[in-house]
Amino acid sequence: MRFGDILRLCRQNLWRRKSRTILTVLGVIVGCCSIVLMISLGQGINEQNEKMLKSMGDLSIVTVYTSGGYGGMMMGSGASSSSASSDVKLTDESVESFRAMPGVSGVTPVMNYNYNSSVRTGAGGRYLYDYVQIMGIDMSQFDQMGFKLKDGALPMREGEVLAGEWLAYDFMDTLKNGEMRSSSRGDGCVWNDDTAQCEPDEDSYFRPVGAQLTLTTGANYQGDPYTQNLYGTGSGGGSVGGAGESQNVTADMRITGVTVSDYNKGFATSDGIVMDLKSLKELIAKVDPSAAKQRTTNYDQVLVKAQDMASVPEVESQIKALGYETSSYEDMRKSLEEQSRAIQLILGGIGAVSLLVAAIGIANTMVMSVTERTREIGIMKALGCYVRDIRVMFLTEAGAIGFLGGLIGCAISAMLSLGINIAGMSYLGGSMSSGSGGDGSGSGDSVWTMLWHAIAGGDDVTRYSVIPWWLYLFAILFATLIGLLFGFGPANKAVKIPALDAIKNSE
Amino acid sequence: MAQSDARPIIEVRNLRKEYPVEDETVVALERVDLSIPQGQICCIFGESGSGKSTLLNQLAGMEKPTRGGVRIGGVPVSRLDERELAAFRQKHIGFVFQSYNLLPNLTALENVAMPLMFRGVPKDQRERTARAVLKRVGLGHRLTHYPRQMSGGQQQRVGIARAFVTKPEVVFADEPTGNLDSKTKAEVMAMICSFARDFNQTIVLVTHDPQMASYADRIVTLLDGRIVSDRINQAEANRPAASSQVSCDESTIPISSPNLMPGTQSSIQSIVPTHFASQGASR
Repeated sequence: MRFGDILRLCRQNLWRRKSRTILTVLGVIVGCCSIVLMISLGQGINEQNEKMLKSMGDLSIVTVYTSGGYGGMMMGSGASSSSASSDVKLTDESVESFRAMPGVSGVTPVMNYNYNSSVRTGAGGRYLYDYVQIMGIDMSQFDQMGFKLKDGALPMREGEVLAGEWLAYDFMDTLKNGEMRSSSRGDGCVWNDDTAQCEPDEDSYFRPVGAQLTLTTGANYQGDPYTQNLYGTGSGGGSVGGAGESQNVTADMRITGVTVSDYNKGFATSDGIVMDLKSLKELIAKVDPSAAKQRTTNYDQVLVKAQDMASVPEVESQIKALGYETSSYEDMRKSLEEQSRAIQLILGGIGAVSLLVAAIGIANTMVMSVTERTREIGIMKALGCYVRDIRVMFLTEAGAIGFLGGLIGCAISAMLSLGINIAGMSYLGGSMSSGSGGDGSGSGDSVWTMLWHAIAGGDDVTRYSVIPWWLYLFAILFATLIGLLFGFGPANKAVKIPALDAIKNSE
Repeated sequence: MAQSDARPIIEVRNLRKEYPVEDETVVALERVDLSIPQGQICCIFGESGSGKSTLLNQLAGMEKPTRGGVRIGGVPVSRLDERELAAFRQKHIGFVFQSYNLLPNLTALENVAMPLMFRGVPKDQRERTARAVLKRVGLGHRLTHYPRQMSGGQQQRVGIARAFVTKPEVVFADEPTGNLDSKTKAEVMAMICSFARDFNQTIVLVTHDPQMASYADRIVTLLDGRIVSDRINQAEANRPAASSQVSCDESTIPISSPNLMPGTQSSIQSIVPTHFASQGASR
């Protein structure tokens, strides 16, 4: 028998018992919808988790330190540690050994400048930033490590440095009583207490790229006299100006670029100065010659960048095997992932129950159908229909019910999911859309942008229900398979009906 | 015993069929030997419970005999498995049922084309063949009617068209006229015979109706599971070969022939003439 004929018969038979078919399909639709929507809610949680992690910085960075030297660069949570022998040191050799590991795309030692320092810029050193953080990294690894420049270029020559993204806003105006300019630092909102409104960023006092900085530091440097006077700290200006001043070192630096802020790569990328490791070592040698040898050969931290998030655990375990301690967001990511997977399983399980009920409905329909058609099956057999064809016929009917239910269920789920997202966006995420409404999107196309965001998502959109394409495919396939599975018993029952029955039942 | 010159297409050897009924065994058929030549219209005649339906089931391979065997065209039907049987039925066997057994959700045309569909014949091709056969049974104008929209006689004509559409060597007809009135009975029998004569097909007709039996070339009478009589229907066999094409037309059957039933079986002798004389009085 041709499959086309089987399909035609299947259509006729399903159509013959219209109401029963429709009700059975309805059951599958409900089951399919519940499973798809439940999983989509789980996917929505996943998406939000991922966005949250992304906002924390580069997740493929592994921070390596020795047991004594935890630099505190990690933001607290998610840091993992393992006991390691205290005699391992982070030296140039260890950096090389990390670089040779598979799955590692970049390695740089991180050296934090441990002496107080202040920078001044502007005419006559008018603008001051005291207690600036200085970080030394291997500039040749800048790109491999995933550091990004927001503006300008990498330092090429001696005395050239990079500024953190918001460094310019950290300066105060010494001629205006230490006034500072405010910036939202990427949050999109500068809160003005007087007007109780969000306001755009103010301009910083100077443009960072190309700016000349004068750095003042020293082994016993206590900070710029201006700040000391301003806040009244310290034991008096005299003592600072006395013994300390003679050892102070000043250096001229030029900012060639601005880094993109990433707390995972160091605070200095946000509010500090990033300079080449070699220059920093020289600076240390000048400031504190006695400690320089020890300080410049052992690093506080080494940042290792894995090729991607998936290779982070492997890289971490390799480094740990050498006796170092590591920390990354991998653990946090993992626990979040496990959590959302558990939620998905629970939600999907609830959905699966209703699909199971629908499957029982399919089985019931098919059993009834076989019973009703006992005679027909006997006739077909007597007329030479292969047993296989009869089985395929009934399986096709059961599969078709599942497939139809899956298909319609997916379509309805898509609409419901859209509804959930639009409702969520307009009631719960209202402040967000009004905040971003300022950058030009008129109210006329906002409906369409909202619709588009609800379907496809976006960077600043919170979707509560996310249906990836594979979920549709999976749902339709699963519903069809369930139909086939639960149609198998009835189909086998049909196959066993002897041809004799057709002749025996003469009434 | 009656034997034709043609080679036998159906051979039954020492057939025995038992049914377990509660703790006993009921013997439905015993020591049945039968040989039916190609082109013969053979009637298996008997009262209800005589075992005639059981014999038909064995012949068509619907049931496995307890002992003995059935061969059709040399094929041991009683030893085929289900798949082989289905294939065998597709190619060589047609059925006409008492209760027509048309599929209710298919049109007349689709019902007739069904056996061809099982063979995998494409739709337009099989419907062309089915249409021709339906025209021949006089239903050319009812192709798209459903069984429920047709009278019993029309339904049975669809059933006949379906049995003959594949041009099978053997057609089994189980009380084909059992649910019909006498006029339609004659039409239906005439139609079956006409097909059989045209294509030299073998018909095995099971009936308890002597009037129907009289259409056959040969009448095998069963009683309590045994063949008690097997004879050539003289009214048919004596006819010249040239006129056999139309022999089934009821007008050509010599109703009052004194030679009508020269057989030894008293029941047939007594029943058939009176029945024919009354022309349609049902028994």
